[in-house]
Amino acid sequence: MTKQVLIIGGGVIGLSAAFECQRRGNQVTLLESTKCGGQASGAAAGMLAPYCEIEEDPDEFFLLCQKSLKLFPEWQKEVKKYASMDFEYNNSGSLYGIFHEADILGLETKMSWQKEFGVGARIIEGKELEKKEPGLSKDIIAALWCPEESHIYAPDYVKALETACRRLGVSIHDQLGMLKINEHNGQLTVLAPDGTAFEGDTIVIATGAWSQMWEEIFPYSFPVFPIRGQICAYNEIEPTNHIIFTSQGYLVSKGNGTLVCGASEDIAGFDTSVTEKGIERLEKWNRKVLPALHNKRPFHKWAGLRPATQDGFPLIGKLSEYPEVIFATGHYRNGILLSPITGKIVANELEGNNNPVPIERFNPERFITL
Amino acid sequence: MQKNLVIAGHELKSRLFLGTGRYPNPYIQNKAIEASETEVLTFAIRRVNLQDPHEDSILQHVGGRYFQFLPNTSGAKNAEEAIRIARLAKASGISDWIKVEISKNEKTLLPDPIETLKATEVLAKEGFVVLPYISDDPVICKKLEEAGAAAVMPGGSPIGTGLGILNPYNISLIVEELNVPVIVDAGLGSAADVTQAMELGADGVLLNTAIAKAKDPIAMAHSIKHAIQAGRLSYLAGRIPKKKYATASSPISSGI
Ligand SMILES: Cc1cc2nc3c(=O)[nH]c(=O)nc-3n(C[C@H](O)[C@H](O)[C@H](O)COP(=O)(O)OP(=O)(O)OC[C@H]3O[C@@H](n4cnc5c(N)ncnc54)[C@H](O)[C@@H]3O)c2cc1C
Repeated sequence: MTKQVLIIGGGVIGLSAAFECQRRGNQVTLLESTKCGGQASGAAAGMLAPYCEIEEDPDEFFLLCQKSLKLFPEWQKEVKKYASMDFEYNNSGSLYGIFHEADILGLETKMSWQKEFGVGARIIEGKELEKKEPGLSKDIIAALWCPEESHIYAPDYVKALETACRRLGVSIHDQLGMLKINEHNGQLTVLAPDGTAFEGDTIVIATGAWSQMWEEIFPYSFPVFPIRGQICAYNEIEPTNHIIFTSQGYLVSKGNGTLVCGASEDIAGFDTSVTEKGIERLEKWNRKVLPALHNKRPFHKWAGLRPATQDGFPLIGKLSEYPEVIFATGHYRNGILLSPITGKIVANELEGNNNPVPIERFNPERFITL
Repeated sequence: MQKNLVIAGHELKSRLFLGTGRYPNPYIQNKAIEASETEVLTFAIRRVNLQDPHEDSILQHVGGRYFQFLPNTSGAKNAEEAIRIARLAKASGISDWIKVEISKNEKTLLPDPIETLKATEVLAKEGFVVLPYISDDPVICKKLEEAGAAAVMPGGSPIGTGLGILNPYNISLIVEELNVPVIVDAGLGSAADVTQAMELGADGVLLNTAIAKAKDPIAMAHSIKHAIQAGRLSYLAGRIPKKKYATASSPISSGI
């Protein structure tokens, strides 16, 4: 049965949910306060790197990330097909570089539990490391090589998602200002600041770092808040062969010839400005990783707001008292990676289908108010 | 008046030592640290940007307040490595306190007692304030004290397991036999575990995962702070002996 779906928020999560729901035969209306992809999603480095990101725990979040990584090859093809647009999707693999012998134990711990999930990673050093990534600093004594990790050019990916949605018939309304939800006689209505009202069978909340605002209407606590990421890019630089991770940041070469380096984790409210201190810190560190950067300055600097949560897990799923409301937010550092799986879970929740991975840990009602 | 904990002449109002790893994000980390009222923060030296500690991805967020830093040698597989890492940390100026943590097994991360003893001896002689992480064995704990440890940190159970105190008997023996402070480190999962450690007479506890990975780390930090106070007071107050049968709490009047 065709459902009328309202999606609030046009970041990568809202767009992915729209793409999947519309593809499955529902009628989606996507509502965005400014412009699609204008917030965190357009700012991201586009790494699809759960094995580097997740250090300690084989928990449900790891499973969610791994599943999404595995969905990517097929998913990105579909997005390209419906959009008739191309974007960079690069199976470069990654290197997690370490500077101390004491880091080997940590890498071994991670490798040993991830192996049980079929992750093919290996510690490489010396000549082999040098051959794989000649530009790397000699102070990096070894690296964990994860051949399955990939990256995507996030701004183009988000544009393609938006185009694919439009071509599939999603009705996209942007520049609406901050929407609210009103309840009247048990009926939920989405309201724009100019008074325009939108109604549907289901409302999907994909409002990223702004999601705490829904505490006003629903009787739950939604501890989602912004953590700013400052990031920069260099040009005219020898590209690296892999995504390069370290304890302090990452570097990734894009097909357009730039080298993207991120990112800070600042507590700065909803401020998206770039600070000198934030970028200098990245620059200083980058030179320790890639000596070729010693006399280079980034040509481009920007920042975005990651939707962080109280326990580090996203909020994905239905509200029990409002089964017509589906949350899909709080993806923090991994929203690009998690976009395919989140799109699919939203569509499954809409249709009452089973999910390919357990989502109980992501229950949007799990937080109590003290 | 309760006495404060003193380690190497340094007086601490809080008996909580807190790890800085595994928090979901810096905002939650800061709030949890604040709520816990801890004065001692521990972190792995290998992870820190030693040239610019104030620019480090974790340490930069705790700037502005005064903490006693307790860098640890986690990841070291033998005494030699641990000593090398400790010297790096001291040279960087972040602290002359060092938590010696040496393990070989990547699954259990249990401490290697022999290598820990070696490293403690050397580092104490070099003037470090050494706090070794060690198994809950009273004999090795005593030897560490003799080797110059400023405090000894026996584990309740393996790091990050939340299994609590597996051998309370040993912990109470360690408390009895040592003159330096005993800080129960590793494996504590909740307020109950912390209260138990303090009731056994520990001088303090070191936690990380129990707070960082709680659903609400800030609330858990509050809870742990109170658990330490409750356990400490209970220890000082002196618990009643355990008996097999009931004793009426309102005594039957004897005189008629
Ligand atoms: C510097 C940086 C680097 C990153 N790198 C990576 C990476 O390499 N890999 C990765 O997987 N992730 C990365 N991320 C994280 C990723 O960008 C986010 O997790 C993801 O973009 C979140 O998507 P979203 O759609 O939830 O949020 P957003 O993209 O922020 O979208 C939310 C949208 O909702 C709109 N909105 C909010 N409230 C309302 C309202 N009331 N009414 C109408 N509209 C509303 C906003 O205008 C916005 O457009 C990075 C983030 C940053 C900042």
